[in-house]
Amino acid sequence: MAAAVVPALRCSLLQRRPLRCGPGVRAVPGAGAALRPCSSRVAQDGINQPVIDRIIRVDHAGEYGANRIYAGQMAVLGRSSVGPVIQQMWNQEKKHLKKFNELMVAYRVRPTVLLPFWNVAGFVLGAGSALLGKKGAMACTVAVEESISEHYNNQIRTLIEEDPEKYKELLQVIKQFRDEEQEHHDIGLEHDAEATPAYSVLKTAIQLGCKAAIFLSERI
Amino acid sequence: MAAAGGLRRAGWRLWRARRAVVRCQQYPPLRALQASAALRAASDEHKKEPWASSSQQHFESPPAGHQPEEKPQGPHPSYTGQGGQESEDYESEEQLQHRILTAALEFVPEHGWTAEAIAEGAKTLGLSVAAAGLFHSDGSELILHFVSDCNTKLTELLKKEQKLVQLGEAEKKPIDEFLRDAVEARLRMLIPYIEKWPQALSVLLLPRNIPSSLSLLTSMIDDIWHYAGDQSTDFNWYTRRAVLTAIYNTTELVMMQDSSPGFEDTWRFLENRVADAMAMSNTATQVQSTGEAVVQGLMGAAVTIKNLAGLNQRR
Repeated sequence: MAAAVVPALRCSLLQRRPLRCGPGVRAVPGAGAALRPCSSRVAQDGINQPVIDRIIRVDHAGEYGANRIYAGQMAVLGRSSVGPVIQQMWNQEKKHLKKFNELMVAYRVRPTVLLPFWNVAGFVLGAGSALLGKKGAMACTVAVEESISEHYNNQIRTLIEEDPEKYKELLQVIKQFRDEEQEHHDIGLEHDAEATPAYSVLKTAIQLGCKAAIFLSERI
Repeated sequence: MAAAGGLRRAGWRLWRARRAVVRCQQYPPLRALQASAALRAASDEHKKEPWASSSQQHFESPPAGHQPEEKPQGPHPSYTGQGGQESEDYESEEQLQHRILTAALEFVPEHGWTAEAIAEGAKTLGLSVAAAGLFHSDGSELILHFVSDCNTKLTELLKKEQKLVQLGEAEKKPIDEFLRDAVEARLRMLIPYIEKWPQALSVLLLPRNIPSSLSLLTSMIDDIWHYAGDQSTDFNWYTRRAVLTAIYNTTELVMMQDSSPGFEDTWRFLENRVADAMAMSNTATQVQSTGEAVVQGLMGAAVTIKNLAGLNQRR
């Protein structure tokens, strides 16, 4: 066991991994006690578990929320002329959610506690924006997808700064999803999102909500 | 002359140890630990006097020849590879603490989770009883070390079982049996220390220790569910872990007061609780599907009424 502690320790000293530790007892520099025994979870192949945890948790929450937003929009506008467009975007989001479910199990990441809340909030946002009309729904789509694209870009930057080789698969997934979210954003603009009454107010409010959701889902 | 060389080495090690302390921003207990490591190195020096004198004689020999004699005396004072050397020192102190606590465990049934047990453990390793001063007097670190150790053993056991199932040499257990066996295996590790375990539980609940003990508990429960094959990615993740934590904690408490032969009352209690949990989840599923059926029925009734009233016109 000591032999296993040694390389894990060196790794942690170099990476300053605060909480996720290797097997057995390890001192955590700067912690409140001389010895702070941590979880007996084995770190997988030296990946930066806290960072990956956050990334996958928040992305999973995001796709889950996006799913619910489109569900809300379909509930109101499903039988209108933009129905098929929204349905197609929703199908892509379902695929994204499925992929993040797989990643979550693979990296043993905890989902956010707020999932039931995002369930309801997402549906309400989707239905509410759809009640403002087709343009309202498109405006909501534009706002959310812009938020998400920016967020994915930040994550790509973080992962590249960490180690592009180690996180190659994850980077690929996030890049692909970012491109697809960008597509949704452009589709929203094509369908006269900007012609919505009070477009900028609506957009700012929704993006503020997205930022708060991202902040909370990363941590809780 | 040999003693002077030994003193110089001990001093050099103390100085480097203090540098390591400043670098890593540690706190008083660990500084004491550094001092103790130096003291131990000094006591090693006394044991290896002949080596020191021979190393003085071979002063002119090439460094390669010098090194093998230095190595057995612990981290050797080289001027190169600062980072590597300092982390070696860091590890050996941790390993030292680890070794003391492991040795102390065999004295726990007699002395309880106290500084006495740690002192006895230190004595068996040839260290001074003062080594117990490195740790808190209530035995917190000893208990946390023990818990962490047990969790690691449990994880190894579960991993081994999983491998057997993957190789097809064993049957995959149904979930309730798997959970029962895992919790039982983990609780059985407490049996040698069962007399003093209530004391340990109360120490683990001290506010100072709660973050660590909670983290160890949650990761153990998470491990058990992971090997049980849980792949939930919704709120179920939390419900399952909460339920298993409750089962584990209550069974542990029952075990403290169990005087039946081989703790059979405890295992029966455990079996009943796990069965309750399974039944609860089945009931929850049933309630949900009933609810959905009812909602669909109501929707159908609403559509029928709309049709009858002529309100359902195509847009």
